[in-house]
Amino acid sequence: MSTSFKRSKKAALILMVPTATLLLAGCSTEEPVETAVYQNADECAAYYNPPAECQAEFAKAQQLHAQVAPKYQSQAECEADFGAGQCETPATTLAQNTTAATTGGTATDPAAPVQQQQASSGFFMPMMMGFLAGQMLNRSGQAAPKQSVPTQPLYKSRDDMSTYRTASNQPVARQSGPVSVLPSKMQPQPGSMVRRGGFGAQAQQRQTMSSGG
Amino acid sequence: MKKVAIHERPGWRQYAESVGFDFHTFDGEAYWDESAYYQFSLQQIEQDIEAPTEELHQMALSLVPDILADEQKLRLLEVPEPYWDWLAQSWRTSQPHLYGRLDLAYHGKGPAKLLELNYDTPTSLFETGFFQWVWLEDQMMRGQLPQGADQFNSLQDKLEQAFATMPLRQPCYFSCIGDNIEDKGTVNYLLDIATQAGIDGRFLALEQLGEINGQLVDADDFPVQAMFKLYPWEFMLREEFGQHLLTSDTQWLEPAWKMLLSNKGILPLLWQKFPNHPNLLPSFFESPGEASLRSGWVRKPLYSREGANIELIDPQGNKLTVDGPYTDAGFIRQEFYPLPKFDQSYTLIGSWLVGDSAAGMGIREDNTLITKDSSRFLPHIILD
Repeated sequence: MSTSFKRSKKAALILMVPTATLLLAGCSTEEPVETAVYQNADECAAYYNPPAECQAEFAKAQQLHAQVAPKYQSQAECEADFGAGQCETPATTLAQNTTAATTGGTATDPAAPVQQQQASSGFFMPMMMGFLAGQMLNRSGQAAPKQSVPTQPLYKSRDDMSTYRTASNQPVARQSGPVSVLPSKMQPQPGSMVRRGGFGAQAQQRQTMSSGG
Repeated sequence: MKKVAIHERPGWRQYAESVGFDFHTFDGEAYWDESAYYQFSLQQIEQDIEAPTEELHQMALSLVPDILADEQKLRLLEVPEPYWDWLAQSWRTSQPHLYGRLDLAYHGKGPAKLLELNYDTPTSLFETGFFQWVWLEDQMMRGQLPQGADQFNSLQDKLEQAFATMPLRQPCYFSCIGDNIEDKGTVNYLLDIATQAGIDGRFLALEQLGEINGQLVDADDFPVQAMFKLYPWEFMLREEFGQHLLTSDTQWLEPAWKMLLSNKGILPLLWQKFPNHPNLLPSFFESPGEASLRSGWVRKPLYSREGANIELIDPQGNKLTVDGPYTDAGFIRQEFYPLPKFDQSYTLIGSWLVGDSAAGMGIREDNTLITKDSSRFLPHIILD
């Protein structure tokens, strides 16, 4: 018998054995922050918020919308995620913005020329379905949280039309009104033209049992 | 080297399934076969398998700069030209590699002969590193095998060390085609070991990989900084997202340069550089329109997995072919060398490397001279 073995000293599994996976459950020390979700400025005001602030926060979210919304190259790809008739191009956003601005009493929309340039790029994005009111509610003298929750647009995906989600697909709430969220999950990212499924085609064609050898 | 019959462990199938080894039986045929084992002496393992494995590996590594410096060789290997600089960059910056497997024909004496290198997507990892290891411990505990038995199998230890020490960006995504049960098993095993080594590893089905402005991204659109992929490089280069490999800031396992060594064209290049090396078989690139295969030769596609598209004529003129999907690239020819036959089965040794160290072996058996994906896996022991 050799003194040094030619085999591993141990062979443990921690993930492949289902009962052990609990070991990996992470624990977060992050404090949730109180904020609120509304469909639009009118609904915000109906929850006894100052109408002017509601209007301002809604406009802020709308401005972010074109930047952070997920982008698609075709309407079909966008509708596959957000449902038929739930997608728009930045051009239609412009039209809605103008309407909103008009009803809000503003005469001109300074963002319009920029949006017309974007329209020529011809991509599709989901319509804004609501907004997260950031820290509008957080004015009652509470200590400011370490990380703030920016005001931002919210969306609803085709497979779950009852849930408001951020542009990066974080679920926020199932109904309008106050909600507590983890700030780290609510940081808007620049929305970009994501494409998927660009690898794997040859495995489908060749239909082997394994891609390995 | 001998084959010995042994009782199967009662209930091993349930145990296999409880640890995620769902592909122990495929299409009603045994894949994991513990009705027998192979026995080797320590000297056979150390002199005839372990040492030549590390030597062959160093020989193969020595070819990488040769190939990168020689346009003609890159063309012979059918590496697409747009990727040459990117590939060379992965070698120049010493991108770390994880593992590989040499397939050897060995008769218990004389030099083992290198049949091919699986340096990009080697599989049978879990069977070798884990399930075979547990089998030995179980059978010794049950008194079916003597206490002094050992196994050439430090695979899991060495993989864990490799993950703990290699420069690897994190989180690292572990990826394969999502609905492939065998590949998923292998990837889960590596993810498990990486996690034990302290790596932040996460599974991502390859089809879920996204792309934004030339950067590959995860399911939440975050940049993929590091990815282990159990999917052939030669496929990836030719698929829709291939171009993004050139711009995506992503560390790959295996690194891009490994694709040179997983190409069957490495066999003729080894023979050119190390002619008559005892562990090598004469090999040549096939010229277009070359005469039909002669007796005593084997024809293999440059890119092939699991015995697919291999044509073989033994010295007596018996012909054997395996059909497959790899007909879209060139071929090499390698001198026929018989696999040893035990009972009614032909036996192939898969000898593993982790980094640059020999790390164990797994044995495959087939009823024919060509080892395939469906070939049975049998455990082995070392006992003098």
